[in-house]
Amino acid sequence: MTATSALLLCALVVAIAAFLLDRLRGRFAPSRASLAPPKGSARAGVLYAFTRAFAPTAKESASRHLPTYAAGIAYHLAIFAMLATLLASLGGAAIPRAVAGSEAVLFAVGTACGLGLLVKRRLSPNLAAISVPDDVLANALVDVALATGLVACLVPGALPAFQVAGAALLLYAPLGKLRHMWYLLASRSRLGATLGRRGVRPAARPIGSGHD
Amino acid sequence: MTDHNAAPVSLGDAAEVLRSRLDARTAGFLNACVRCGLCADTCHVHLADGEAASTPAAKVERLARLFRRQHTLLGRLAPRLVGAEAVTEESLRALADAAFGRCTMCGRCALNCSVGLDPAALMRFARAILTAARLVPPGIAANAAAALATGNSMAIPPEEVRETIAWLEEDLRATVQDPSAAMPIDRPGSRVLYAINPRELKFFPLSLSAAALVFHVAGESWTLTSTDFDITNYAYFAGDAAGARAIAGKLLRRAEELGVEELVVAECGHGFRTLRWEAADWLGRALPFPVRSFVEVVADYLAQGRLRLDPSKNPAPVTLHDPCNLVRNGGVIEEPRTVLRRAVADFVEMTPNRADAYCCGGGGGLLAASEHTARRLAAGRIKAEQIRATGARVVVSPCHNCLDQLLELNRHYDLGVEVRTIAETVADALVLPGAATA
Repeated sequence: MTATSALLLCALVVAIAAFLLDRLRGRFAPSRASLAPPKGSARAGVLYAFTRAFAPTAKESASRHLPTYAAGIAYHLAIFAMLATLLASLGGAAIPRAVAGSEAVLFAVGTACGLGLLVKRRLSPNLAAISVPDDVLANALVDVALATGLVACLVPGALPAFQVAGAALLLYAPLGKLRHMWYLLASRSRLGATLGRRGVRPAARPIGSGHD
Repeated sequence: MTDHNAAPVSLGDAAEVLRSRLDARTAGFLNACVRCGLCADTCHVHLADGEAASTPAAKVERLARLFRRQHTLLGRLAPRLVGAEAVTEESLRALADAAFGRCTMCGRCALNCSVGLDPAALMRFARAILTAARLVPPGIAANAAAALATGNSMAIPPEEVRETIAWLEEDLRATVQDPSAAMPIDRPGSRVLYAINPRELKFFPLSLSAAALVFHVAGESWTLTSTDFDITNYAYFAGDAAGARAIAGKLLRRAEELGVEELVVAECGHGFRTLRWEAADWLGRALPFPVRSFVEVVADYLAQGRLRLDPSKNPAPVTLHDPCNLVRNGGVIEEPRTVLRRAVADFVEMTPNRADAYCCGGGGGLLAASEHTARRLAAGRIKAEQIRATGARVVVSPCHNCLDQLLELNRHYDLGVEVRTIAETVADALVLPGAATA
């Protein structure tokens, strides 16, 4: 194992341990299951939350902001691919040529989307009002990891730099806003379960429909 | 809960709530927000005032900053990096402005959150902190205190309840021309306890008369109660879980004393939500009877053929305002439509509607917070525009909070509409036994 692979592995272990520790510490009172009889299905609500709720037509916040929605989707697809590539690189081997080309495109698009979202954050008064340095740092760490991943796809000798950037990203993940990657799953399923139990989602009719 | 501005702010108590009362669900939401801001224009308050501070993300961020300082490593070590703030009078007053002044806890943003968090639940937790800090609007605090002390938020004594019901009962008998028609009160063994909003007794007796007429024609075994009848829960609006539990507990105990099989909640959004969805969790036990909205019950009566309606008796175009706590947060979505389609000749939907409907601006207890009246009316502009766009002459809403706000919007925005309950609309369309359909 190369030194940078070892660094990446350590960072991965630290990140997972930090998330698990946060979970196992039980700092917060557990959320209790609702005792009110359901009107709908919690399971259907959770399933909805992780499937159709991602569609741009499911939420006004997506359908009214399609460029941002598309950028967000592309950014996160690139991030997932980047994390998978980092994991696969732990053996120290170069990125396989069969996937390097398509990954390079995905990482390039992801980097551009990340930078675009950062620019939007600076330009939008609503976003600027709530932004903190963590927003820039988190975005920068991800963008650098994507960009070095892009280079590593094209230049096999750049893999160590990609791994170092990935390690930095993983070490920061449990600390700043990047930790949403962990908490999003529980948040989404909890809200989905509540809306499902109450029979609100999935909607019986097309969402956002107007006149009958 | 004391004065919003005059009483000393209790920083220690607020910090203690933030430290010890946060559950995993709320903490998860606070950890999950990425400040993407896509929720901004799903909020009626922000749409109306355009202020950055009114976006749901900004309101959540006010609470998240306190959370990060208290509960995260970087929040303690590098607060400026992650935007963490200590609990101070200034940060709490900013939180109060967000949670009480700019949010009706309608939950529309939750349906539209790209991550999947519930800003309304977070604002409720913010309000719990503010209750501890003594920064609750005095009107909300006073209503909650009255309910805790007297059994209802308007402190109406049992004798006055009985007197009011007695004269409404005379009206009912005259309407149905049946001297045996009754509005039973405190009658044990009835199948249904009909629990009401005290505002009906004081200001909207016609909605109570209308409900009585519906129960009478449907042949229901029902009763009212002269004590602990109040479905409203201002402690819930204050984020005061102990107070909310106590208020709901009074009514539920009364229902158990009367031995009813079902609790039917009058037209009140948050009253339904608290009793149907929250009360069992507050009390830590499943309720011994189902809790349903009056609207659900009427829809059932229609399905069972226990009511005959003549829609031509309501000829004017009617639109429906979906109360957030009944519909988006309560799941009573199609029943009001089922009823109105049978009760009126020309029903037209607002756009958007159902769970996606905009709040009227009167939710979250804001009608009792006079210091926010101007903002409340401004935030109602979105609803006023929706109503105007339908061309309807009548706005029906199964919620007395919404009715109060809609009545004010009607005047403020010169809408020229009539505002009424479902019960009144159904009562007007009722074909009384023995009468021929038009």
